[in-house]
Amino acid sequence: MSNWNAALDLGGLDIDTAFPDAVFAQLRESFGRMNSSTSTATPLQHAFEKRAADVKAPKSDINALILDYLTMEGYPKAAAKFCKEANLQPQQPDPSIQTRQDIQHAIHSGNIETAISALNGLDPELLDTNPELHFSLLRLQLVELIRQCNGGDIAPALDFATKKLAPRAATNRDFLSDLEQTMALIIFPHDTLQPELASLLSSDLRRTTATKVNEAVLVRQNQRREAAIRQLVRMRAWAETSARSKKKDLPESIGLGLNADNMEYGESGHEPMITT
Amino acid sequence: MTNPYQQQHGGSNFDSLASGRLPPLNARRPSYASVVSGNPPALTRPTRSGFSHLLNPSPDSEQQAHASSLYSTAQPPRLDSGMPYNTHIGGSGEEVPGRDHMNDGMGGAVWPPRLGASFPYFSRAFDLYMSKDPLLPAGPASPEEAFRFPSAAPVPNVSSTGFLSPSYLRGTIYLQKLEERHTAKVLAEREGNASKGAPPPASSISSRLPSNGSSSHLPTVGIKAAGSAHRGVAYDVVEKPMFSAEEDDMASPLPSRWNRDDKEAALEVLGDGYEVRHAGKPSSDHEASAIRADHYMSPSCGVYYFEITVLNKRNDKIKTPPIAIGFASKEASISRAPGWEPDSWGYHGDDGHSFASQNVGKPYAEIFGVGDTVGCLVNFRLNHALFTKNGRELPIAFKDIPFKDVKGKLYPIVGLKKKEDHIMANFGQRPFIFDIDGYMKRQQSIVEDKIRLADTSQLVPGLSETDLIQQLVLQFLQHDGYVETARAFAEELEAEKSALRLDPQEPVKGIDIRDDEDAHNRQRIRRAVLEGDIDRAMKYTDAYYPTVLRDNEQVYFRLRCRKFIEMIRKEAELNILLEERRRDNGHSDPSLKRQHDDDEEMLEAAVESDDMDMAMAEEDGGAGATTTTATGSSSELSQEAVAYGIQLCTEFEGDSRRETARQLGEIASLIAWPNPLKVEGVAHLMDGSGRVAVAEELNSAILTSLGKSSRAALENVYAQTCVLLEDLRQDGGDGAFVTVESVVLGIPPSRLR
Repeated sequence: MSNWNAALDLGGLDIDTAFPDAVFAQLRESFGRMNSSTSTATPLQHAFEKRAADVKAPKSDINALILDYLTMEGYPKAAAKFCKEANLQPQQPDPSIQTRQDIQHAIHSGNIETAISALNGLDPELLDTNPELHFSLLRLQLVELIRQCNGGDIAPALDFATKKLAPRAATNRDFLSDLEQTMALIIFPHDTLQPELASLLSSDLRRTTATKVNEAVLVRQNQRREAAIRQLVRMRAWAETSARSKKKDLPESIGLGLNADNMEYGESGHEPMITT
Repeated sequence: MTNPYQQQHGGSNFDSLASGRLPPLNARRPSYASVVSGNPPALTRPTRSGFSHLLNPSPDSEQQAHASSLYSTAQPPRLDSGMPYNTHIGGSGEEVPGRDHMNDGMGGAVWPPRLGASFPYFSRAFDLYMSKDPLLPAGPASPEEAFRFPSAAPVPNVSSTGFLSPSYLRGTIYLQKLEERHTAKVLAEREGNASKGAPPPASSISSRLPSNGSSSHLPTVGIKAAGSAHRGVAYDVVEKPMFSAEEDDMASPLPSRWNRDDKEAALEVLGDGYEVRHAGKPSSDHEASAIRADHYMSPSCGVYYFEITVLNKRNDKIKTPPIAIGFASKEASISRAPGWEPDSWGYHGDDGHSFASQNVGKPYAEIFGVGDTVGCLVNFRLNHALFTKNGRELPIAFKDIPFKDVKGKLYPIVGLKKKEDHIMANFGQRPFIFDIDGYMKRQQSIVEDKIRLADTSQLVPGLSETDLIQQLVLQFLQHDGYVETARAFAEELEAEKSALRLDPQEPVKGIDIRDDEDAHNRQRIRRAVLEGDIDRAMKYTDAYYPTVLRDNEQVYFRLRCRKFIEMIRKEAELNILLEERRRDNGHSDPSLKRQHDDDEEMLEAAVESDDMDMAMAEEDGGAGATTTTATGSSSELSQEAVAYGIQLCTEFEGDSRRETARQLGEIASLIAWPNPLKVEGVAHLMDGSGRVAVAEELNSAILTSLGKSSRAALENVYAQTCVLLEDLRQDGGDGAFVTVESVVLGIPPSRLR
C-alpha cells in the first residue's frame, strides 16, 4: 500500500504499468507472510516448513532462554516480572542484575566516570586485571569529551588524553593506534569524517563498550559471557548458511515470522512493534 | 549376600577369564515356550488395570512403604560394588580402570584389562537381576522389587534394558534418537505383553540379551531376522513393526558386537559377542579371515570409534600376529584382510602398514600385537580415519575417504590369520583406552567456534544481532501473553534507547505494547493452570473462548487429567506437611497452635484429631468444629479424587486412542501410593513441569482458535535451527556435533532457592 501511494506521490509513474506491479508486489508480500507463518494449512508449504512445524519447541526451553537473556543482559524489571508471570525461579538475585544494568546505563548515556566508579565499587580488581577493558572505557570517555567540546574548547579533552590515556598507550601498540585515531577527531570537523572515524562518534561505540563491560563482569562472577539466546540466533544463521552451501533443499527464504502476528504494524517491516 | 560384582584383584589369568568358562549363550536364555507358559513367576500382579484398585486404595500400602524403603537401602551396596565406570562418564583417560596395567607393559600380571567386573554381563551371577523388568518401577510391590533398580547394567555403558551409550556420543542427537527408539521398543514390548496377558519380563529379556545395546535391533528385524534365526526366537514376541518401515539413516543402531553371520568360517565368536578367535586352519598368504560387526557406522554420529585388544597367548612365539583392524562395506570379501579389497580400509599389526582398498600397503605406524589395544576412529566430518595404539593417537591414516562413493555402508571389521589369534572388541560398552571423549569435545568446539563467528545480519535484513534479539524477545512476550513482562521490558528498552541518544533533543521511538484484552485473558488462564487451579482455568477458558475446549478434545482431556493429579498432589502435600508437624512438635501444647492462621490451624487440628487429641478437640467447642471439617479434609480429599477419577475414566472410556488409555492408567496408579510425592518413578507425574505443559498446550489452542500463529518467532528460530541441523547431520557433517539443546542446557539452573 505505502509503496503504491509513495509511487503516486512521486509522480512520473505510468499508472497503467505501475498498478499491476504494485498489486503483484502486494500479493507476493502477503504470500510470503503466509509462508513464514507456521500454519499447516498453507497448501504450498515447502517440506522444510512442514518439518519445522513438526518440531517441538518446548516452552520450558523458550522460557529459560528468555529469562536467561533478561538476566544476563541486565533487564531486572522484566526479569522479575517474567519470573512471576511464568512461575520461574530467578536466575540471579535482583540487585546483581540491577547493578549491571546501572553500569550499562551509565555507559550508554556517556557517563563513563560514573560507570568506572561503579565498576570499582562492584569489583575493585576488575579493571586492574583487564587493562584492555579499562583502556576502552577511557577512550570512550575521551570520545565523549571530544563530542562535548565540538568546535569549542578542546583543553579538557587534551588534558584527559595526556593524563589518562597517553601513559597506557605508550606501552601497547594497539592502544597507541586507537588513541591516535581518536585524537584525529579533534582535528577534523565532525560532519565530514571518514566512515572509520565517524563510527567512533556513533552510539555503537557506547553500546559495544557497555556490552564488553557487562561480559567482563559476568566472567568475573564465574558466569557465561553472554546469553544463550545469542548462541541460538547465531546457530540459526550459521546453520542456514552451511545448509545452503551444501545445496540442501530449502525454501528461497526462511522467514522468522517476526511480523506474523502484527500485520497491522508490519508495514515498515523492520520494527513491527514500534510506533512513533 | 555376597556381592557378585566384587572386583577381582590381581592375578587373574585371562585364559580362564576369556570365553572358556563362560556358559554357552543359549543356556540361560528363557525359551519362548517359557514365556508363553506364563513363567517366570515374578510380576504376575496386574500393574495397570484401570481404576479397580482405586476404589480400595489401602490394602497394600504398608507393603509398599516397606518396598519403597527397600529401594533406598538396596541401592548403596550396589554403588560401591566395584563399578568404577560410574565415575568415568565423560572422564579422561586417567580414569580408565586397567590403564595402569597398560602402562606397566606386558610384564604386568593383570591382563587383559578387563576393566573391573570379572563376570561377563550375561553370567549367571546376574540372573537374579535380569529376571526383573527394570523399566517398570510403578508397578507391583513385592520385596523382590528392590532388586529392580539395582539391575542396572553390569556392562558400564549398557543400560539395564540393553541400551548401548558410548560415552563420547552422549548428548548427540544421534544417540538421543537411538534411545527414543529403544525406549519406545521396550514400552511397546511391555504393552504387547500386557495385552496378551503374559508377564512382561521374559520376552524383553530374551530379546535384549542378544541385542544388547543396539537399542534398536528392531529396525533390523525385518532385514536380519533370517540371518540371526538361531538367536531370534524372541523376535516373534517383539515383532511389531514400529519403525522398520521407515528405517532411516539418522538412527541406525550402533555396532554393538561381532556378527556371527558375517564372518569367515575359520573364526569363532566367543561368549557375549565381543571376542573373536581364529579356530581353523591358518589362512593362506593371500587370504585372511575377517568378521564384521552387526551394524554399520552411521555417519550421523559424526565420529565413530571402536577398539580391539589382542588377546593372543602371552607365550605365543609371534608377538605381532597378522591381525588387522579397519572398516569395510558388506561387499568386501571376508576371506581377505581389511584394506585389501575395494571399499575396505585397514591397519595391519604385523607390519604396521595401512591399506586403502588395495593389496599394497603404505608404511603407516608401528606394529602392534599381543597385549596392545588398537582403536579405529572414523571422522565423517573431515572424511578421514586414523588409528590409536594403547591410548595414543596415531597420524591420519586415510584422507579424503570417498564415503559417498562407497557401495553400501561401512562396518567395523577385523581380520585374523593364524590359529589361536584372538581379539576382544570394545564397541563403547566399556570406557575406551583412548580419550575419545576429549577428541569429540575438540571436534565440537571447532564447530562451536564457527557458530560463534556467524553473521546474523541476514536473518532479518536491517536488524543488528542485538536489535533482532530484542525484537524476538519482545514479540515472544506479547505473543504468549506475558503482558506485564512485555511492558516492563519495553520500558527498559526505551530507557536504553534514550540513554544511547547522542542528541538529547531527538525523540525516542516509543514501544507500543498494545493493551491486548486477549493477552490478558490468556495470561489469566495460564496463571490459573500454573498455580494448579484447573477449575479456574477451565472456567475462564469457557468464558472467554467458549469453543476452544469443545474443539480441542485432547487439550480438554489433559486439563481434566491434570485436575486429577492436582487433587492427588494436594492430598500428598497435606500429608507430608502433617507428618512434618507430627515429627516437629507433636508434644507441644495444642492450645498454642490455635493461635495460628486458619490454614495452619486446620492442619494442626487435623494432626491432633488424626492422632490422639480427638477427645480434647471435642471439649473445645470452636476448635472442635474446625477439627471436624479438617479431619474430613484429608480423607475427603482422597475420596473426592477417587470420585473424580472414576468420572474421568467413564467419560473417556470410549476413547480408543492408546495414548488416552496410557495416560489414564498412569495417573490412576497415583492413587495406589500412600504418598506418591515420595515415590521415585511416580513423583514425576506430579511434577510442576506438567502444569507448564498443560498451560502451553491450552494457550496454543486458544491462539489457533483466534487465527493467530501458534508460535512466536523465537519458537520458529528454535524449530528451524533444529531442522537445519538435522540436514547438516545427515552426512556426518558439522550438524552432528552441535544441538539446540546444548545451548539451552548451557543456561545454569537457578542458584536461588
